Amino acid sequence: MSETQTSSAPRELKLMSRSTYLKEAALKNLFMLCATMAVAGVVLIFLFVGWRGWPVFSEVGLKGFLGGSEWLPTQGLFGILPLLVGSLVVTLGALALGAPLAVGTAVFLSEIAPPRVRSVVRPAVELLAGVPSVVFGFFGLLVVRPIVADLTGGLGFGPLTAWLILAIMIVPTIATLTEDALGSVPDGIREASYAMGATTWQTIWRVLLPAAKIGIIDAVILGMGRAIGETMAVLMVVGNAPVFFRGIGKPVSTLTSQIVMDMPYASGVHRTALFGLAIILFLISMGLVGLVRGLSRLREGTR
Amino acid sequence: MKRDAKNLTNTLALAAFWVAGITTVVVLFAVIGYVFINGARQISPEFIFTNPHGVNAEGGVWPTIVATLYVTGLAMLLVTPVAVLAAVYLAEYAVQGRLVRTIRFAADTLASVPSIVMGLFGLALFVESMGLGFSVISGALALSFLMLPIVMRTTEEAIRAVPKYIRWGSYGLGASKWQTVSRVVLPAAASRIITGIILAAGRAVGETAVVIFTMGTMINTPILPTDPGRSMTVHLYQLSMEGINMPAAFGTALLLMAMVLAFNLSARWLLRRNRRMQG
Amino acid sequence: MASALTVSLAGCSNGSHASDQVIVTGSTTIQPIAEVAKEGFERAHPGVRILVSGVGSSAGIENVIAGTADIGTSSRDLKGDELHAGLVDTPIAYDAIAVIVNPSNPVDGLTKAQVKAIFEGRITNWKQVGGPDMEIGLVNRDEASGTREAFFKIVLDKERFDPTAVVLPGTGQVRSVVAQAPSAIGYISLGFVTPEVKALAIDGVEPSEEAVVNGRYPISRVLHFLTRGEPTGLVKEFIDYVLSPEVQEDVVRDAGFIPVTAKDAHQ
Repeated sequence: MSETQTSSAPRELKLMSRSTYLKEAALKNLFMLCATMAVAGVVLIFLFVGWRGWPVFSEVGLKGFLGGSEWLPTQGLFGILPLLVGSLVVTLGALALGAPLAVGTAVFLSEIAPPRVRSVVRPAVELLAGVPSVVFGFFGLLVVRPIVADLTGGLGFGPLTAWLILAIMIVPTIATLTEDALGSVPDGIREASYAMGATTWQTIWRVLLPAAKIGIIDAVILGMGRAIGETMAVLMVVGNAPVFFRGIGKPVSTLTSQIVMDMPYASGVHRTALFGLAIILFLISMGLVGLVRGLSRLREGTR
Repeated sequence: MKRDAKNLTNTLALAAFWVAGITTVVVLFAVIGYVFINGARQISPEFIFTNPHGVNAEGGVWPTIVATLYVTGLAMLLVTPVAVLAAVYLAEYAVQGRLVRTIRFAADTLASVPSIVMGLFGLALFVESMGLGFSVISGALALSFLMLPIVMRTTEEAIRAVPKYIRWGSYGLGASKWQTVSRVVLPAAASRIITGIILAAGRAVGETAVVIFTMGTMINTPILPTDPGRSMTVHLYQLSMEGINMPAAFGTALLLMAMVLAFNLSARWLLRRNRRMQG
Repeated sequence: MASALTVSLAGCSNGSHASDQVIVTGSTTIQPIAEVAKEGFERAHPGVRILVSGVGSSAGIENVIAGTADIGTSSRDLKGDELHAGLVDTPIAYDAIAVIVNPSNPVDGLTKAQVKAIFEGRITNWKQVGGPDMEIGLVNRDEASGTREAFFKIVLDKERFDPTAVVLPGTGQVRSVVAQAPSAIGYISLGFVTPEVKALAIDGVEPSEEAVVNGRYPISRVLHFLTRGEPTGLVKEFIDYVLSPEVQEDVVRDAGFIPVTAKDAHQ
């Protein structure tokens, strides 16, 4: 915006003129303002979602909302426990399947794969990150769900299908960060391990993974954030029954999917309850980011 | 004996890692292949360039393509100056301290906000409180918050990757800080910055939960930024859940995937070309 | 339009309107028909605007009585005071709901009471209704669905749905899930029934167009256009257009309903 003005500015070798100084200071403040947009964004999200969601806490009450075990909007019941349990079950299962796959992929990329194989697998991981979640949901609905239906004898909507889809969706997040963590382990450590006669596996298991431990934990936590906040793909395969978890092949609902299901017709307290769910989601994801930062500070502290 | 066991364990473990790596690739190709094989039949100039009509959206998807590109382009325009200058601040001006820590924490938080939360935020702020209604501009504003941390991070990395001696050269010639940044550092980092913007745009193209609550679900070819529209992702969601017109769902999925792949591959191509030029 | 956001569409209460526009408001079930008809009508009559919004049948009736809408659309019959408000009723379609199961399921028919018990979760195994020993897989629609609303009123008599049922936001998905899963039961508009699923006889009546227009099939209702007094001018032209074969055969049928013109064919 102010590039054109700069050319006419007086240039001096040693001392800045007053006008240059003022302009430099003004620009610096402008840049700072831009940087604080991120902070403004977080504050705005909190304020506006919170403002719309706040009435649920006064009208339904903290106990009825956070502690209620029935989500029946038509009867004025807005207990989020079944949704919370649903989100938790879906997320933990996806992590149990996806984290080993992702860490395995990262180790493969960083330690094992020959360069030619790596040049195929790494772009694949990156492209996987770009696949829209609605496409994953589409694939899950049409391909994975019928398979799960045959396996479990039910209709195929439920946590198991969501696990399989989400496990793949979190691979890029976890794998990329894990690879970074492995990459920051000094080569000397690897060489020392091999010099002592350790096999590749022993080096990976006894030396590299422990050395990259905190980075990998970070990666898994951020993968967890991705899984818990995932909306469209989960919505399309999870069955959307707002009841407690009853089995891996039985429908459940999650915080995210319930919002999309209910939003088109919700009004009044029900609508505020959906914004209330969004606040909970926001706090969870912010908490996970805080955890990661806390961990990295811990790591810096121990060094 | 012991040595054999050691080698066997090693072989098995390495095989497991190969399986992990290959699984990832196979799944990617399965998803892409499924969409392309089933969608290819549907693709024709009519499908791409005509309007849908009737209760089951027969015909084409042109308005959804326009809406998607429009909202993404507008979001890019909105986010690029802010994100790039923010990154300039973090990389060139800021001193480590509480403010920088807060900004980084906020950026990380913003990057991990679930898209549905961003959607409801956009609904509450832009659509309702600011009175912009379900519109391209509401969608673009909400998406720009989603893209902000991505573009900020990639730009900051790009700026930090510019060698220090280039800056010294500029200062040595008597340039001021802003002259150095605007004439030397940013041009040197430009292609990596553009790569980051394209990647963020690819993410915006594939976003559903944000645009469904900010741009709406109405099939409409938006002209003004205040017009509503339905993105390709929302169209795919509605068609696949309605489940009556599945051929159109496959066709839309294919076009969507092609668009996302085009964004990602062009970003990669740009990055590689840049590396070759530098290296 | 499963998830059509109807959030901000209630703003059509301005009583004054120009003579070249027609305000159509009411049932969300009728909305898709009205919207597609609007497109065709506006194409044929340049300069004319048809404003369509879905606010629910009761609000539609209220609006047309109050004069804030030219046409109130309703998926339920008039009741109480509404009957004496001078409204003229033009039926435009029949909405019949078929209860569908997998073709491999030996059960061919149920009573309305059995269907109610199944969807309330009181009957959970097919052997309780004369089928094989197999857990029933319930498929329900989302709450924004007009089909669910109709089913809720006609079959469940406003009792609670079993909350453990799978909830799907679209007719076609219900149909394809039922077509694949032997244990499934769901409900869809009669017009969307295809041979991949089996539509059950209810209280001994096979669901068919004829049974619906003759009023024998129990899970059906009439979709109404309501006007204050006999429709005239543009309003009448629009209603005539909706009743024309173009809309009745192409739009009403595509939306899964039975054209009101089918009545003549079956009498």
